[in-house]
Amino acid sequence: MELDSGILQNIRAAQNPDGGWPYRKGGSWTEPTVYALLAHQAIRRSAPRGSEAVAWLSAAQRRDGGWTPRHSVDESTWVTALVALLPPETIGGRRHARAMEWLLGEGAMDSSPMFRLRALLRDGKLPDGPAASGWPWFPGTAAWVTPTCLGILALKKCYWRRPSTDLRERIDEARTFLLSRRCADGGWNHGSARALGYNSDSYPETTGQALLALAGTDPAKLEGSFSLAQRFLWEQRSSGGAAWLRLGLLAHQQIPAGAPLFTMPCRTVPDTALTLLAAAAEQGYNVFLD
Amino acid sequence: MKRRDFLIKCPLGAAALGLAACSRTAALRPPAPVHIARAGAYSEDLYDTMRRVLAQHKLNVRGRRVLLKPNLVEFEPESAINTHPKLVHATLEAFRELGASVAIAEGPGHRRGTLDLADAAGYFETIPSFEDIFTDLNLDEVSRVRLPRPVSHLRSLYLPHTVLGSDLLVSMPKMKTHHWAGATLAMKNLFGIVPGGIYGWPKNVLHWAGIHESIADLHSLFPRHFAIVDGIVGMEGNGPIQGRPKPVGVIVSGHDPVAVDATCCRIMQIEPSRIGYLTLAGGLEGISEENIRQIGEKPDSVATPFELIMELRELRRVRA
Repeated sequence: MELDSGILQNIRAAQNPDGGWPYRKGGSWTEPTVYALLAHQAIRRSAPRGSEAVAWLSAAQRRDGGWTPRHSVDESTWVTALVALLPPETIGGRRHARAMEWLLGEGAMDSSPMFRLRALLRDGKLPDGPAASGWPWFPGTAAWVTPTCLGILALKKCYWRRPSTDLRERIDEARTFLLSRRCADGGWNHGSARALGYNSDSYPETTGQALLALAGTDPAKLEGSFSLAQRFLWEQRSSGGAAWLRLGLLAHQQIPAGAPLFTMPCRTVPDTALTLLAAAAEQGYNVFLD
Repeated sequence: MKRRDFLIKCPLGAAALGLAACSRTAALRPPAPVHIARAGAYSEDLYDTMRRVLAQHKLNVRGRRVLLKPNLVEFEPESAINTHPKLVHATLEAFRELGASVAIAEGPGHRRGTLDLADAAGYFETIPSFEDIFTDLNLDEVSRVRLPRPVSHLRSLYLPHTVLGSDLLVSMPKMKTHHWAGATLAMKNLFGIVPGGIYGWPKNVLHWAGIHESIADLHSLFPRHFAIVDGIVGMEGNGPIQGRPKPVGVIVSGHDPVAVDATCCRIMQIEPSRIGYLTLAGGLEGISEENIRQIGEKPDSVATPFELIMELRELRRVRA
């Protein structure tokens, strides 16, 4: 797929005067700001008013080292993993290190020993699934697929820069969590593979995210996942979903020949940026893995 | 200062609203009117039906900002998961004819591409200029709102300005069974106003706070929102996503969401007193038949048993 300069222009045009990016219009948020910066990184171009963008982002870091979704929200959340995907030199080494500390200290409530003990006392058995912990969207809640995928990707990048046992163990634990949440159809949804004994269906975007986060996993463990992701790619219903599927399949060299290009409109800044990130990955530079 | 501005900025205002919510359940209050209209299909007749439904409630919305909040869950237009776009459009037109400024907003709980979802669900095709009047509540501007009398452990929630700034919030759910809550109707539909951009997809903070308790807490913030339930084709069995379509042929509406939801339960042949959030928000008085004034069709005349999964069979309503 050719890199489309119009895509980049759309991202640039959406930047707010404060340096951050909105989802569509309105105030700046951390998520679209990070994706806009990653898109510029992917094509090795400087972001417009880059220092203002970084300043906006820096102001969204809280004292605990985590990032808030937007300045007016007083809580560090899943977006911390997203910011940690940026190179340390972009947001500053100290800020980046504190983000990693926050991520390593953050766990999900459903894997805590207290939760499992209470479940044992209440139900007479431990909860289904391993005790392995992913990451929650919001502190004090359970782990889900998207924040866990982003957490793995952020920690992997850190590990490649500076390997450590702590990082390796946390990544492995989160990967175990992801594999335990795979749906019966081979893909992933938000993170609930079964409810009250009924199998749940997968979603394209989370299937793509999980495959990307599970790059390097033995293909035998992902049997059925590739064919499902390829089918989703042909049936694409959103540009964001299609981008994640391409990124996930590329990570395993499983993009089918003649796969359709993007057919859906990009309706948000993150979707526009992800489309560009997928295109850059097909040309050899995957900002999530390289 | 608008009522909702007051709520945001003044904790005492929030407390006052909470007291108002409590006083609703007092025995001396007048019975809450709930209207049941027959509607056999998602046809052009709906436009006339919705005009008549709103006329029954004598709504004074001239010059007011009305916000329709449908239930958008999944991409499948042919299933019974989402509130049907034809009903939303018919409601929008009916409110406009009453002189209201009408917008539509929703924040789906699982899927991130809200506009893509709305497109696939037929909203772009059915509602002219849909994108211009729609707000994705997951990504809207937010303010922190204190819960007046929380029954869950939540003390406050970030909520979208589009909802807080509206004069009349209209919850437009699909009539569905729900594998955790029993039934998902007007009150549970308010989960969609909690912003995913802050809390994630799903909005798990609500589940951890207790699903029934957090539904009741959201209700305490909007105790008098208007409700219009899409029961033309509902969903039975393993709802709210994997169930089967259940044709019922009704639209249920009213000012009191507790009374509307209790009436819907009776139509579904679910015992309302066994739905936790109904008793938390309305008390047994609020959901009793004596305290609901039925307009239009009687619940018994349109009642049809919704199939319940094994875990929910205890909710089945048995008439004496």
